[in-house]
Amino acid sequence: MTAFLFLLRKECHRFMKVLVQTVLTPLISSTLYLLIFGVSLGSQIQMPDGSTGENYLAFLIPGLMMMGLMNNAFQNSSSSLVSSKFTGDIEDLGTVPLSRNNIIWALSLASVVRGTLVAAMTLLAGQIFFFVQYGHLLSVEHPLWLFYFLLIGGLVFGQMGMMTAFWAKTFDQLSAVSTFVILPLTYLGGVFISIHQLHPVWQTISLLNPLFYFINGLRYSVLGKADVEVWQAAGLATLSLAIMYVLAHRLFSKISFSRW
Amino acid sequence: MTTISPLQIENVKKTFTPQKGKPVEALKGISFEVKPGEIFGLLGPNGAGKTTLISIITTLEKPTSGDVKVFGDSVLQKPLSTKKKVGVVPQEIVASGFFDLEELLKYHSGFYGLKNNEKRIDELLTRLSLKPHAHKMMRQLSGGMRRRMMIAKALVHSPKVLLLDEPTAGVDVELRNNLWAFVRELQSEGVSIVLTTHYLQEAEALCDRVGIINHGDLKYVGPTKDIIRELTQKKVEVTLKTGEAVKFLVEKEDNLGLSLAKHKISMDQIQDLKTTEGSLEEAFVKVLHK
Repeated sequence: MTAFLFLLRKECHRFMKVLVQTVLTPLISSTLYLLIFGVSLGSQIQMPDGSTGENYLAFLIPGLMMMGLMNNAFQNSSSSLVSSKFTGDIEDLGTVPLSRNNIIWALSLASVVRGTLVAAMTLLAGQIFFFVQYGHLLSVEHPLWLFYFLLIGGLVFGQMGMMTAFWAKTFDQLSAVSTFVILPLTYLGGVFISIHQLHPVWQTISLLNPLFYFINGLRYSVLGKADVEVWQAAGLATLSLAIMYVLAHRLFSKISFSRW
Repeated sequence: MTTISPLQIENVKKTFTPQKGKPVEALKGISFEVKPGEIFGLLGPNGAGKTTLISIITTLEKPTSGDVKVFGDSVLQKPLSTKKKVGVVPQEIVASGFFDLEELLKYHSGFYGLKNNEKRIDELLTRLSLKPHAHKMMRQLSGGMRRRMMIAKALVHSPKVLLLDEPTAGVDVELRNNLWAFVRELQSEGVSIVLTTHYLQEAEALCDRVGIINHGDLKYVGPTKDIIRELTQKKVEVTLKTGEAVKFLVEKEDNLGLSLAKHKISMDQIQDLKTTEGSLEEAFVKVLHK
């Protein structure tokens, strides 16, 4: 247990040492999205129920929270491992008495911490915009669901980042997964628009996107309503975690802890 | 009472199968053991399989067949237990970009389950002359300091077996001497040490026993003195009173007197006589070309 806690602490300490890059930069992106889409264009974007403005900003905040969580959880574990491959630290990970489970859960929990920090900062920025625009704060309807989706989302994307980093042989391969898989699925997963605003064909395609369920799960936690049932979103999130864990565990028995 | 060997290498084979090309047999069934408190030199030319064997001991690589036991525990069956007993200084320096030396040693201790290891960390930093640099990052250190830091990291959990993979590669003479003095200190504390090195003079001076690997085969294993005695001959250089110089090798079965007699040199003819013992380097070359 001590080894696990030290690895978790080291991983959190690592991203805290580069806070500008790991937390402040994503916060600025989220703030810009909130300013441009939520505040400036929000009044012109019509929601499925016909409302605009306040409802759209409220809709956008949880979407951006989940987007920040997913991206940062993925980047935390993947960049940690890839930089370790580059510097040679990865060999330490292989030679110290840390079990496969210790490594998988410590790295992915550190991803949860960073992702949650970014999501919390995004919520804070969103609340400031919301208060300035509408004179009151956005209340979080289901805090327990919020905790659940932040935890599961962070773990899933942390483990995904870990596997990608172990698989990648070059920085290019790592950024390819981020750019060609995570990014489009995030943008098409309902961060900015409701599924009901899409053509039926795209609605069906969106339902096949696993990120859609994470985003809408978190949206339900904050707003109390979303494009899918919360149990459906929670079930898919849990299933995703189970799949990721099995894959990560299997991968760890095959990979080499050797440097690039 | 039988003593458990700190390190037993049991018929270890390792074949690397590249995506393209033929499989490469890096180790072809190697067996030997390291005795408690000894310095064992694992010698061989580049690509002989030394680092592959070190990687198998530390579980970075899995053997294709065979096993390695650390104090009786298999690295395949009980890797967490064997890792706790082994410290390793890899050939290549680890850069560790985010943390200073003290933080690195604290985290490294934690990985071995040692929560409050400040005393040991302080002792190592002092013994390895790193104390003034405790709050520097690895990248701020010279090559020699980085090498010492690698040793500190390997010793942070007070292992009973220390693996040193080319610890003095590219290191200046003074630091090399300091490192070897430190290795001797560790030996006197009961640590069993396996070292790979290209500096055969140092291996000769340090190692109680050596193993010579070539192309994945263990060609020789035994006491350092024995291999020199068995495979090398004493060189004799005689300067006669006439001014003539005679050089010859003493046959193994002969002593110096017999050799002089064979060369028909009597004591009263000799102006000066110089003998040179065989070296590990000569023995090493002979083993490789056997």
